Amino acid sequence: MIAVLIENLSKIYTGGNKAVNDISLAVNQGEVFGFLGPNGAGKTTTIKLLCGMLTPSNGSCRVFDLDPAQNPEKLHQLSGVMTEHAQMYDHLTGLDNLIFFGTLFGMNMSECKKRANALLNRLNLTYAGQRRLSTYSTGMRQRLSLARAMLHSPKILFLDEPTSGLDPESAQNVNTLIQELAASGTTIFLCTHQLRYAQEICTTYGLISEGSLLATGNIEKLRSMVSSKLTVRLKASLIPNGMVYEKTGEDTYNITVSSEDEIPLIIKGIVGAGGDVYHVSADQIPLEEIYFSLIDMNNGKMERENL
Amino acid sequence: MNKRQLALIKKDIRSITSNKQAFMVILIVPLALTIVLPSILVIVTALVPDSASDFQALLDMLPITAQEGDQVQIILGLVLNKIMPVFFLLIPIMASSVMAASSFVGEKEKNTLETLLYSPLSLKQLFQAKILAGFSVGMIVSFISFVAMMIVLQIEMLILTGAVILPDISWLIIMLLIAPSISLVSIGITVRGSAKSQTMEEAQQRAVFLVFPIIGLVVGQFTGIILVNSWLLLGIGMVLALIAALIIKNIVGKFTYEKLLK
Repeated sequence: MIAVLIENLSKIYTGGNKAVNDISLAVNQGEVFGFLGPNGAGKTTTIKLLCGMLTPSNGSCRVFDLDPAQNPEKLHQLSGVMTEHAQMYDHLTGLDNLIFFGTLFGMNMSECKKRANALLNRLNLTYAGQRRLSTYSTGMRQRLSLARAMLHSPKILFLDEPTSGLDPESAQNVNTLIQELAASGTTIFLCTHQLRYAQEICTTYGLISEGSLLATGNIEKLRSMVSSKLTVRLKASLIPNGMVYEKTGEDTYNITVSSEDEIPLIIKGIVGAGGDVYHVSADQIPLEEIYFSLIDMNNGKMERENL
Repeated sequence: MNKRQLALIKKDIRSITSNKQAFMVILIVPLALTIVLPSILVIVTALVPDSASDFQALLDMLPITAQEGDQVQIILGLVLNKIMPVFFLLIPIMASSVMAASSFVGEKEKNTLETLLYSPLSLKQLFQAKILAGFSVGMIVSFISFVAMMIVLQIEMLILTGAVILPDISWLIIMLLIAPSISLVSIGITVRGSAKSQTMEEAQQRAVFLVFPIIGLVVGQFTGIILVNSWLLLGIGMVLALIAALIIKNIVGKFTYEKLLK
């Protein structure tokens, strides 16, 4: 089932700022969709359009077949949203905040308390549940916001930079939680500019820059758009003549190949020439590199169009 | 009114009591207007010797029918039933506008409005709950102030003059018609301006112009141009109720999520 469907969506703010420029994409239910781009790329605007907070200037979007602009209340009942500007109340305790928002989502008091306590426990916040939010650190607030977004067991979670401000241990905990939710069928629409982080947990991606969508798909598809080459790292006593390599240190080399099938041939070649192999590893192009390559390709395309 | 809206109203009322600055304003203004100011007027009226006062000149100037009886009693009756009702109206204006500013712009300032907007409450339900929260606080503060003022004034008058002066029908009109209406008008004005306001204080200031007609009434009375009587109050109350209904009716349609988050 398609959870999010965006067709030719654009948003031009008053003053002419084109925050989102004619983007189209689809996200299936249960996917962890990473919507990636630098600050100001249009990620948060897209979330706001998908949640009905903004009205599209052009195009359309649907979330579980609901038009956010027409049925925002129905959509909010089945979605959870965590953004930088969606804060909670400083004068209430962490637990009271969760109970208040749970009530707004139609949960009864005992259900609210049970779920809130379970989430506080899952996000290592049980010790702070009775403390006022004003005493929370940034990371604690971030985790409580995540708990708030998940409180009513939404079908889709919109998360804007969910791990910003978290220590590595908490970030890891949040990642595991996100993956568990996805495994249980919750769709995750995750916006971040941290590409390495996204590669750890996302199943599909949308790369956005200056409001325009550069590419969508899983990592293999994105990689194929840039290059299918692999970098093989080697530590060997010698490299036979005729082999193209880049020396990176004492007895360490990088060799670029077109596919994994070429790796055994390289090893055989070294051993056949009388050399010893101490280490072999193959690195595929990381998401970060794919992203910058796509930006370069897009800039080149735009320059060509402007000529 | 559903449970979700009730939860929002409770939260808003709890928010204002935990905001020391706003809560102090809500406490101090009624204290000054219903305890301090009337007490001064009563004490001065009762203790200043008749020969040293210009009370007779004041009574001659006021458009009231000639009254038999003790001059001090007449003056105290004027203070209680003609002067204080006008001052009293500042209380629902102030309490409601502080509350409305806190629950709309205050939420915007603290980045909590967006979180509320992501809830399944419709904008109409959200506005209804917030207007009702402001109205409840305005009315609770007004009624408590009225009761406190009556208790203090009656005790003071009893001690100083040996008699009590009961509130007349003006107070009934004030408490049941004008105070609720002016409270809603004040909320309406504050909320309408909330989209353009970035701070609570800025939003509150939009209701300030409601104070000018009240000052006009006070000045009018002291200069003998008009006298606040029951018919005038009834007329003012009905006009305010009509304005309140119009403002509140139009207010919801005026807003979209996008305008609220600007």
